[in-house]
Amino acid sequence: MRAIVAASGEGCQDPHIFNDHGCGFEAPGTSLFFPTPWLDFGIPLTSGITKYTLLLLIVVLLVSAFWLVTSRNAKVVPRRWQSIGELTIAFVRDQMVRPGMGKHGDRYMPLMLTLFTFILAMNVMGIIPGLQLPVTSNLAFPAVLSLIVYVLWNVVGIREHGFGGHVKAKLVPSGAPMWIMPVLVPIEFISNFVFRPVTHAVRLFATMFAGHMLLAVFAAAGFYLFNPDAGGILSVVSVGYSGMALVGFLVFTAFELFIMGLQAYVFVLLASFYIGEAIEGAH
Amino acid sequence: MPAVIVAAEQENILRIHWDEFTFGLIAFAVIFAVVLKMWPRMTSALDERANQIEGGIERAKKAEAEAEEIRQQYREKLEEAHRQYAQEIDKAREQRAAIIAEAREEAQVEARRIIDAAHAQIEADRQHTLAQLRTEIGALSTDLATRIVGETLSDSAAQNRVIDRFLAELEQTGDPAQAEVR
Repeated sequence: MRAIVAASGEGCQDPHIFNDHGCGFEAPGTSLFFPTPWLDFGIPLTSGITKYTLLLLIVVLLVSAFWLVTSRNAKVVPRRWQSIGELTIAFVRDQMVRPGMGKHGDRYMPLMLTLFTFILAMNVMGIIPGLQLPVTSNLAFPAVLSLIVYVLWNVVGIREHGFGGHVKAKLVPSGAPMWIMPVLVPIEFISNFVFRPVTHAVRLFATMFAGHMLLAVFAAAGFYLFNPDAGGILSVVSVGYSGMALVGFLVFTAFELFIMGLQAYVFVLLASFYIGEAIEGAH
Repeated sequence: MPAVIVAAEQENILRIHWDEFTFGLIAFAVIFAVVLKMWPRMTSALDERANQIEGGIERAKKAEAEAEEIRQQYREKLEEAHRQYAQEIDKAREQRAAIIAEAREEAQVEARRIIDAAHAQIEADRQHTLAQLRTEIGALSTDLATRIVGETLSDSAAQNRVIDRFLAELEQTGDPAQAEVR
């Protein structure tokens, strides 16, 4: 919230609408995603210990605790926590892994569970009051996960079909005439080996980034518009607008929660499809 | 200028800073380790449950089959009992008919016997009466004749002849009376 306040009125005595100082509305910028480091390593291309690091630590603790609590004393007749864990497992298995990989997917269940719960927790950090920054809005974290899936995709493909078989399956579409191959192979290479891992990471990052930005704009606008001291009708107008911004903020927070779940689902579903495809070979 | 470049680099939203990348990798590894640790426990519980449910279903099926068998047995027994009952009834009915027929026959025989006996008795009585009448009438007639004729018929042969003739006449005239007796 401090960042939002700063963004809407840095150096302005009265950062609200109808003020006497001529301070305009400053929309929150990308600086939201560059929290001031608490510990700067002073090395190029590093961020140091920031809010992201703290949130990541919280996520790790939360997700680990979730799985430890739900699996502790796992019994044939499940208790409340175990049921929640089993529901999560069943959801990931039936909605993401089985559609993408079929029965092969059971081997990859631990990985997919890790991905889903990890991503979901990182996303949901964006609407936890007081924290309010989705960890996945920093491209580094989605990139780690998409890279893991990308490496696994190659490893599985090579293990199943050999290096040549894997590369050929991904570069040479079956059924296409030979003369078109010089065009098709580079396109397939870029599509499958370059763009796909990149879009896999960027899709998650961009939705979380944009969603957080949207919420920040609603919050900042609500803050800026709230000026009951403006006097007369202006107070009423400002408070009314501010209320609308608050409603928008709440509605979009709920919507964000949905998007957070959806994006975690999409990421894991795609990972499952990619690895399933590597197992199958030629597409 | 380098400071500007660094600042621009710092504000690039598509940055992938290697320290954050490493933290992400470590975080993933930690969570993955936890999930790998809990996975066997969860799956064993799930598998065990699946086994038990399958076993339960099998047991239920077996029990159902057993119950069906017993029901079949009972039904057969019941049918057997019904059949026996019907047989008993039939037998009893036959026996009743036989008893009734026997009793009727016996009764008829008895009745015939009684009737025959009565007839014989009547016949005997009649004969007896006839004989008695014959002697009495003879005596009376003799008496009467003696008194009327006033003499004793000394010759018994003549006496008998007279009596027989008298009786023959008497029988001829007494025929209607005799038929009434019969």
